[in-house]
Amino acid sequence: MNAKKQINEAAAYKPYSWQTVLEFRAMWVVLALGIVLPFLVSKPLATEIMIYALFALAFNLLLGHTGMISFGHAGYLGVGSYAGAMVVFYGGVGVWVSLLAAMAGGALVAVIVALLAVKRKGAYFAMISLAIAQMLYFLALSPFKRWTEGEDSLKLPPLSVDFPIHLNLSDQMQLYYFVFVIVALAVLAQWRLLNSPFGHALKGIRENEDRIRACGFNITRIKFLSIIYSGLFSGLAGGLLAIYLGAASVTTLFWMTSGVVVMQTVLGGTHTFMGPFIGTMVFLYLRNNISNYTDRWEMWVGAMFMALILLFPEGLWGTVMQKIGERRRPSAS
Amino acid sequence: MLLQTKGVCKYFGGLKAVDQVDFSIEQGKLKSIIGPNGAGKTTFFNLVSGLYKPTHGQVTFQGKDVSHASMNQRSQLGITKTYQITSIFPRLSVFENVRLSAQSRVSMFNSWRKAYSYSALNNRTMEILEHVGLADQQGRTASELSHGEKRYLEIGIALATEPTILLLDEPTAGMSPAETVEATHLIRKLSNELKLTIILIEHDISVVMGISDEVMVLHEGKKLAEDTPEKISANETVQNVYLGKGAEPCSR
Amino acid sequence: MELSWEIILMQVIMGLALGAIYVLLASGLSIIFGLLDVLNFAHGTFYMLGAYATFVAISLCGNFWVGIIAAVIIVSLIGALFEMTLLKRLYGTDQIYPLLMCFGLSIFLPDIIKMIFGLVGKVVDYPSLLQGATFVDNLILPKYRIFLVVLMAVVLLALYLFMKKTSIGMIIRAATRDRLMVNCLGINVSRVWTVGFMLGVGLAALAGAVAAPMVQTIPNMGDEMTIEAFVVVVIGGLGSLGGAALGGLILGQVVSFVSLLAPDWSNVSIFLTMALILVLRPRGLFGEEGRD
Repeated sequence: MNAKKQINEAAAYKPYSWQTVLEFRAMWVVLALGIVLPFLVSKPLATEIMIYALFALAFNLLLGHTGMISFGHAGYLGVGSYAGAMVVFYGGVGVWVSLLAAMAGGALVAVIVALLAVKRKGAYFAMISLAIAQMLYFLALSPFKRWTEGEDSLKLPPLSVDFPIHLNLSDQMQLYYFVFVIVALAVLAQWRLLNSPFGHALKGIRENEDRIRACGFNITRIKFLSIIYSGLFSGLAGGLLAIYLGAASVTTLFWMTSGVVVMQTVLGGTHTFMGPFIGTMVFLYLRNNISNYTDRWEMWVGAMFMALILLFPEGLWGTVMQKIGERRRPSAS
Repeated sequence: MLLQTKGVCKYFGGLKAVDQVDFSIEQGKLKSIIGPNGAGKTTFFNLVSGLYKPTHGQVTFQGKDVSHASMNQRSQLGITKTYQITSIFPRLSVFENVRLSAQSRVSMFNSWRKAYSYSALNNRTMEILEHVGLADQQGRTASELSHGEKRYLEIGIALATEPTILLLDEPTAGMSPAETVEATHLIRKLSNELKLTIILIEHDISVVMGISDEVMVLHEGKKLAEDTPEKISANETVQNVYLGKGAEPCSR
Repeated sequence: MELSWEIILMQVIMGLALGAIYVLLASGLSIIFGLLDVLNFAHGTFYMLGAYATFVAISLCGNFWVGIIAAVIIVSLIGALFEMTLLKRLYGTDQIYPLLMCFGLSIFLPDIIKMIFGLVGKVVDYPSLLQGATFVDNLILPKYRIFLVVLMAVVLLALYLFMKKTSIGMIIRAATRDRLMVNCLGINVSRVWTVGFMLGVGLAALAGAVAAPMVQTIPNMGDEMTIEAFVVVVIGGLGSLGGAALGGLILGQVVSFVSLLAPDWSNVSIFLTMALILVLRPRGLFGEEGRD
């Protein structure tokens, strides 16, 4: 410990804060947990956790890292899901192309939201993003029913992958590891993104928007790009969801989907990198178990969520990090 | 002239916050703007920084008309301001506060390269932290700093944008008398060592006298006087304003 | 379909009645946001509570009018309780926390209602006075729709007078402009917040109460209304009563005519209208520069 401290002091600078180091380790621990997850919980639940965790991380790119309250992420996930399913259903393409289409679908919605709302702050951004997502829901439900099958869902044939290895995606275990590898790569990509100059600029916007503008950053363009990244990753999650469910369904586009991702993210901690992932794991695990005992899941989750906001606004992982920070402070100085 | 304003005005409804002010500053000078509270100092300052656009008149920088350029555009041109109320990135480290600001000159959208891999930026950040005396605090979270240290960090963030001209809005606000003395010396030192052009706003006349090359006095939105510190001290009109007889400064 | 002018006029009246509901709902949302800086995600939930409270009150006393008044009072009190016990603790934190608290409530309360009343919709009858329609020449004027339009006008006028003439109204207006200043006046601001929240929630409850005979009273009837109220205030400009009124009336007409001409698109048209107005006037019709 002493030797290590001396090395740090000798170095000209030590840019990585303890939070970053801790999050980096937590990321690897959680991904390692992902390898054994289908042996701890049921395979469908494990798959669902992975997909929604990716979605929550993508969502938190806006809420936690840029400081924009989006209530319309169902739009990115749902359109990603439909885009991925439609190119398979109507175009007969393979799984990889489907996932690319899903990302493009998510990004397209992101561009629309950004064009209409990128300059609006706080509550306005929340309302506009929610409204656009709800419009997409209604579009899929009835005017576009001819293509989306409306409430019946657009059902996919059994899928498999041939490259780089052969995987039968109808097999729950093979499907899980297919999803897991893609999610893990996406998590690593987001880590890289957030530790890039762009990612640091996002943190600057979250911390102090006026100041970062005075430093010469073009806030509007940075936010625009951030919304698109969020749409890309959400769309990818949507594409995976379509493969997992074997269908693209309108309920994915329903506003409740946006609400759930908000709850999962806040449960884990918005001001952290891994919080949304951890929050999703806990949320889905609880939902699966509580609904065995009661059909009043919404009542419980609503009440617990309100308690969380009052007592632990930083979320589970965020609160852990906060406590570690408090314990470090006296020794640090 | 590095920066010049010609007849700039800023009206808020019926209030003439800044009225017909001509101002200019040469490269490498330190010029102060003083005046009692409500004299229009901060408004004038924000006309230069780009937060406000003038109702009438013109702001030119290096010969170019920048009257309608936005704050981030002016920052990219080399006009950078600090805030009267400390404005830093509270949850980021001291190092990152300054590095992020320096990054604005290098990269905004690169989403793949590691932010800390730009060694020129890192070195520059450490240099600036040395200049403002925060080098040994670099690892701390900015919100943990003392008030005085935050004020220095504020200046550090501004310096990191490699300004041609630095606008300091009451940099000693909230400091103790001893800290104030130290801070004014630091400002003069920055001006000398970095060959920076500085515009300094103060309401406390004694802070600026020792360090300014020139002083402009604002009163009720209008320019009252502009001269060397010595002559300003001797100026009767200015004395009247500061001694409180200044409700009607011209009615002698 | 032949579009005779009678049909058009009928549709205008239907649109006005629907618009009246939107106006009541959105003006409440706008007051709460303007005063407290809280985006009330549970606004539709209070609308739903208003409808259920009306149902309960009418079953107990048998009179429609007493039922509506009782419903508004009861729901306002529930709102005040929520504000004083839960929401108040979150003022001064990041804007998102009060928003999330309201969102939590909007998940929690409908499920409670589901537990008490079940999933099957409750029926609230039209008051006998306002059943049916009157005829002017061969024009059919449904009485209840006309009543809604009149009610909206009366409520807007009352709100206007309340804000302009009463001292608490003036404090609310001042606090909407600059909350710090009102703090400095030595007014018990905390009570002003509560009154403002009650007022906003009361308007939502009133909207739900008068909508109850026209729509199906089900536990999730409010969810969609929250979003539609958002659209109205985005169109009108958040924090402006005039904006809420104009936005609500525009939206009522849009929905009414699109449901007639292209029923598939009626839900979508609400959001398309919003998108169109955002393109033309990014701050909404009455939005002020600088207020986000």
